[in-house]
Amino acid sequence: MNLTESIRIALDSITSNLLRSILTTLGIMIGIMAVIAVVAVGQGGQQTIMKEMDKFGSNLFQIMLDWRRDEPPTGNEFTMQDIEIIKANVPELKYLLPCASSYSQIKKGSQIKTAQILGTEADYARLHPLDITVGRFLTKSDCQSRRRVAVIDEEMARELYPRDNPLGKRILIGNQSLAICGLVKSDSSPLALGTKYVYIPVRVWLDIYPDGNISYIEGSTSNLEDITVAMQNSIKILEKRHRNEGLYQGVDMEQQIKAVNKVTGVMTLVIGIIAGFSLLVGGIGVMNIMLVSVTERTREIGLRMALGARRRDILLQFLIEAIVLCLLGGVIGMLLGIGCAFLIAALAKWPPLISWTTILLAFTFSAAIGIIFGILPANQAANLDPIEALRRD
Amino acid sequence: MIKMEHIHKVYRPQSNPVNALQDVNLHIKSGDFVAIMGPSGSGKSTLMNVMGCLDTASTGTYWLNGVEVSSMNNDQLAAIRNRKIGFVFQNFNLLPRMNALRNVELPMLYAGIDKEERRSRALDCIGRVGMLNRLHHRPSELSGGQCQRIAIARALVNNPDIILADEPTGNLDSVTSQEIMNIFLSLHQEGHTVVLVTHETDIAAYASRILLFRDGRLKTDEVISSSPGTVANLFINGDAL
Repeated sequence: MNLTESIRIALDSITSNLLRSILTTLGIMIGIMAVIAVVAVGQGGQQTIMKEMDKFGSNLFQIMLDWRRDEPPTGNEFTMQDIEIIKANVPELKYLLPCASSYSQIKKGSQIKTAQILGTEADYARLHPLDITVGRFLTKSDCQSRRRVAVIDEEMARELYPRDNPLGKRILIGNQSLAICGLVKSDSSPLALGTKYVYIPVRVWLDIYPDGNISYIEGSTSNLEDITVAMQNSIKILEKRHRNEGLYQGVDMEQQIKAVNKVTGVMTLVIGIIAGFSLLVGGIGVMNIMLVSVTERTREIGLRMALGARRRDILLQFLIEAIVLCLLGGVIGMLLGIGCAFLIAALAKWPPLISWTTILLAFTFSAAIGIIFGILPANQAANLDPIEALRRD
Repeated sequence: MIKMEHIHKVYRPQSNPVNALQDVNLHIKSGDFVAIMGPSGSGKSTLMNVMGCLDTASTGTYWLNGVEVSSMNNDQLAAIRNRKIGFVFQNFNLLPRMNALRNVELPMLYAGIDKEERRSRALDCIGRVGMLNRLHHRPSELSGGQCQRIAIARALVNNPDIILADEPTGNLDSVTSQEIMNIFLSLHQEGHTVVLVTHETDIAAYASRILLFRDGRLKTDEVISSSPGTVANLFINGDAL
């Protein structure tokens, strides 16, 4: 008995009782569908986050106030002087820059817009892949001489100047009038949530918001291996200068990526366990109906044995039937799962990621369930006594 | 062709032993047409099962075409059933979901014969029973007689040493029964060895030799001439039925 013939017999038997076959394999179908959909959406989300993180480069770190601290911030934790001293004392550093940010209003005549106003320095463009489409980013001399200039994103420019060239035009932030010196491509990633950005020299920012302060500092090293040392040493200098241990905390991208991977790893495990249970239930359904099938087809089994089928031929026939049944459920479930993934992803606004690994895994899983839950009925069929079986109605 | 020596078959030897066959000795030559007769419970079905290698004897030896099969394992017996024996059943036992052609091809699948040869041999055998115009019909679309013809084609397809027919006309009317028996007769004339189990004397009359069983023992073994009435006489003399 060759394989194609066994599969043909299996398909014959499945299609001759189509409704029952579909109901039988429904458990597998739903299980596989759920796994595919959730994994695809999850991996799509993970990929989106990773892409976002990749923009920063993995040798980037940030030092911010430890949010677990007990005392309220004084507003004096990061100073421009700190930055100069750290730069001078930590040789591993390539760049180090202050970031002061506020979410506030921009005025142009009577028009009022809201944006993330980031006060920083020229090197910001080296740490982040900003795409300058018109004009230029902030320069060192902008920052040193407190030039009243701003780089705004294209989205903001379109809203403020739908017809004119925004370059050189003036906008009002707080009480300061700033000239637009460049446009940066808007962040179109779903995680940006449509936030618009305005970049201005940090000293200008501090002039606009006299009560504001530098929120965090960002740095990078030339070598990835140096990142932890550079970050730790920078923190030590800050702690010494401000006589306050445990006030600062540093985060590097490596850590963040690891954290995301850990979260997604746990998520995958949980999904795996749930899927495992649903497939287990599905498998029991398949086993049940295969046992019914063996009973119904006892005469057929007896006849096949009389015509020369060995026990292993019968075993294989029923095993293949269980596998084909499960694979059928698996394939339908997979298609439904892919459909669901696209639907969910469309609602969540990020692309689903359907990898070959997932598809292969779903396939292997359904086949494995067929084997595991098919073996008992198949064995029962193979151990029938041909004479008894032939006599059965 | 078939040689049985001191065949015993005991069912349920431990709890409640039933002696289905007791010391059966018989010899069937190649080309014989043998009818096995006897009342129900006489052991003829058991003999048929042992002869067809569906069952093994408790004791005794059985040679089929010079090969001792009484000590074979399950797989070896399956191979013997596949290649050396062609079964014909009372209720035809065709698979309902397969058409006539595929039903006839079935034994060849287990013999591992390739697709083209399967097709040509199946067509040849279906031709011999005159059913070439019903190749793609399913059993439910065929009459009883047509089903039995297909079943005979299936029995022939692996070119077996013996054809074992168990009440092959039991489910057929008398006219169809005659047609089916004529097929067996012509197979016998072509040189096939045919063993037939029946309890109908007019069916047994087609055979050239009759074995009569009673209470698990071979009662009489008569070679009969083709003249009518011989079989009836046999039963009167042998006090069989």
